[in-house]
Amino acid sequence: MPLPKLLNRPAPTTTQQSPNPVEAATEAGLTVVDWIDERTQISQGLRWMMFRKVPKGINWAYTLGSATMFAFLSQAVTGVFLAMYYRPSVTGGAYESIRNINDNVFLGQFVHGMHKWGASVMIILIFLHMARVFFFGAYKYPRELTWIIGVVLLILTLAMGFTGYLLPFDQRSYWATIVGVNINNTAPFLGPYIGDFLRGGPEFGATTLSRFYAIHMMLIPGLMAALIGFHLYLIMKLGISAPPWLKAHEPEPVIETVEV
Amino acid sequence: MNQAEKEQYLREYSLLKNEGKPFFPYAVAKDSIMAVIVMATIMLLSLLFGAELGPKVNPTTTTYVPRPDWYFFFLFEILRVMRNVPKFTPMATIGIPTLCMIGLFLLPLYDRGPERLITRRPIALASGLATIACIAFLTYSGANTGSPNSVSLPAPPGLTAAQRATFYAGEIVVGESGCEGCHEIGSNGNNGPGPPLTHIGAKRAAAAIASTLKNPTAPMPSFANLAKTSPKKFAALVSFLSDLQ
Amino acid sequence: MTVGLGVHGASHIRIHKQMPQDRYSKSSKYTVDRGLPGAFEGETVTRRRFMEAVTHGAGGIAAAAFGLPALGFAIGPIFKRQPFDWQIIGTPADFNETSYVTKVITIVPGIGEAGKSIAYVRARNPQIDLEPHDQWNNYIALSSRCMHLGCPVRYVQAAERFICPCHGGVYNFRGEVAGGPPVRPLDRFYTYVPPVGHPGHGYVYLGPRYSVNSELRRFSPRDPGEPLDGIGQYLYPARFDTAVRPSIANLPLPPTVPGTGS
Repeated sequence: MPLPKLLNRPAPTTTQQSPNPVEAATEAGLTVVDWIDERTQISQGLRWMMFRKVPKGINWAYTLGSATMFAFLSQAVTGVFLAMYYRPSVTGGAYESIRNINDNVFLGQFVHGMHKWGASVMIILIFLHMARVFFFGAYKYPRELTWIIGVVLLILTLAMGFTGYLLPFDQRSYWATIVGVNINNTAPFLGPYIGDFLRGGPEFGATTLSRFYAIHMMLIPGLMAALIGFHLYLIMKLGISAPPWLKAHEPEPVIETVEV
Repeated sequence: MNQAEKEQYLREYSLLKNEGKPFFPYAVAKDSIMAVIVMATIMLLSLLFGAELGPKVNPTTTTYVPRPDWYFFFLFEILRVMRNVPKFTPMATIGIPTLCMIGLFLLPLYDRGPERLITRRPIALASGLATIACIAFLTYSGANTGSPNSVSLPAPPGLTAAQRATFYAGEIVVGESGCEGCHEIGSNGNNGPGPPLTHIGAKRAAAAIASTLKNPTAPMPSFANLAKTSPKKFAALVSFLSDLQ
Repeated sequence: MTVGLGVHGASHIRIHKQMPQDRYSKSSKYTVDRGLPGAFEGETVTRRRFMEAVTHGAGGIAAAAFGLPALGFAIGPIFKRQPFDWQIIGTPADFNETSYVTKVITIVPGIGEAGKSIAYVRARNPQIDLEPHDQWNNYIALSSRCMHLGCPVRYVQAAERFICPCHGGVYNFRGEVAGGPPVRPLDRFYTYVPPVGHPGHGYVYLGPRYSVNSELRRFSPRDPGEPLDGIGQYLYPARFDTAVRPSIANLPLPPTVPGTGS
């Protein structure tokens, strides 16, 4: 096994001038990157991801997907910060902790507002992205599976909107949850039990809020992260679809002339 | 798409890809600019509108009017549109949304034609635009649905100050009396089973309105009791309704 | 492993007794016949297949050991019946036949405001209440949840109607649907007035909720949006966790006011 470059290098001679601090720092940083890359070979994957070609004619409509993913990341980050202050307690805790975030925590209302409005922005972006894929016919062969995963992600995003609704525990969240759970209940045969599962009982009870919190904070985000990863992998594997109005230039046919 | 069409597409695509540019930095630059725009939008919305918190949960309310966030308005409106066919309530709550989702989910499995250009896919174009128009319309009308416990019509012009005071008093009586359970008045109330009352004053004289209120045809309840116990409220109600030109 | 070897031994004995005709066919169950390397006489299960089965089995058991308790944990509440106690909502003098009185009641104890709800209560009027009379409906107590999707209905005395603020549900004085999307009349609560000489006499007690169909026949409590007419009661079956009517033997007694005797 080859030694890291640092150890392989000839020992500095005393006559050589010591490098200036910036150079030394750059050198040290590169060494660390080299060391990690040598063990993980991550640069191969990065090169595959970054330097693949995208077909010509890519325009701004193609950024909607990554913008949606970015909104998801923003939701994840602000959500983690909100979780630091939030208490999912029905008996006086949930509403008060959100009040506390809004009124007392430094930048609390700002982060809360980012999470709240980020949800709207993400839903708008996801619909725009879907419209782009639909009108460009980008869901057709070979990208059918990418679309299907995308629809699952849409459903999960709406489910995030629904489960996040309850958490501030104000009037609007309570009644929206009652209505939403009852909508699920109207599925024949299974509906009543789905409602019981969501509420953790026959009525809105002590564990309903913590159930919604767990679903909102762990179950759905985990699923979404995994599916986004798969969605991205498929995009890289299959390539970004080309705008449907473009036609490729046929390469010059090579005609071999054979002398008789 | 048959095998030949698939191969044709893959060949075409690989040619276009070869003519294209590398993902980094060309696409990444666009994505990054878009990410900055998204971030700035979210921050701006947060700074402008904050995160208002309504009153605390109170399941014993009888006056709260629940409304969803804007992105569920279309669903809210579907439920209201289907209000006059109670037999189909489960269709509205679970049937239509589930069918839409299944349709969306299976889209690439039933739309398998090789054509991608939207102008040559008339069915896809029509159904896509129709879906967008439907959702936009439902969201708009869902957003404009007022509470059935109050009226939000401006007083008609040309009223004296006293008449205007009676008008607003009548508004309150209408809100209290539950008229809008069955009648639409402006953007408030439900259209049916009763007829809309937004222009009732132009159709009926005040005396006719008063007599209908006292001796209505079923299923409308009689307000004769109101006329007996608080004639002032009843008079305000009648004058309000006859002002709705 | 011992189980597997036992099977091998048994089949070994059997094949010597009855030798099949197609011993050397490719599809024989004996590994020797199929010419597998390392096969021995009488072996029917190859070591590879055996290891596959063991691996799959162990993996399955591990996944079940991990997944089933988690699933049970999540869906457990579906099978746990909610307790419910009779609660006092007033004295007979509080209620009349012509208008509803709003009473705050507790649906889920122990969670404060979020577990409360309200009931609209009036005395039974034999002129209009044509459903069969028994000891549970001397007082008519209606739930304030709209039977469309559960919004809070408002009682309007002037119109004698219940009006839902959400999707346009309207109910008449008896709680039957008068318009809009609700699929059944407003839910009701059992009420009970102990007869003279029984503990709790002189008070009106409220029990758990029950649902009614359009003929006001009683059903176990369903959620809003679930019709109970015709095929509805089969499409939306009763649940395992809804409160049942508690016994009237142990009515909670009203707190005695000092100086008034027992």
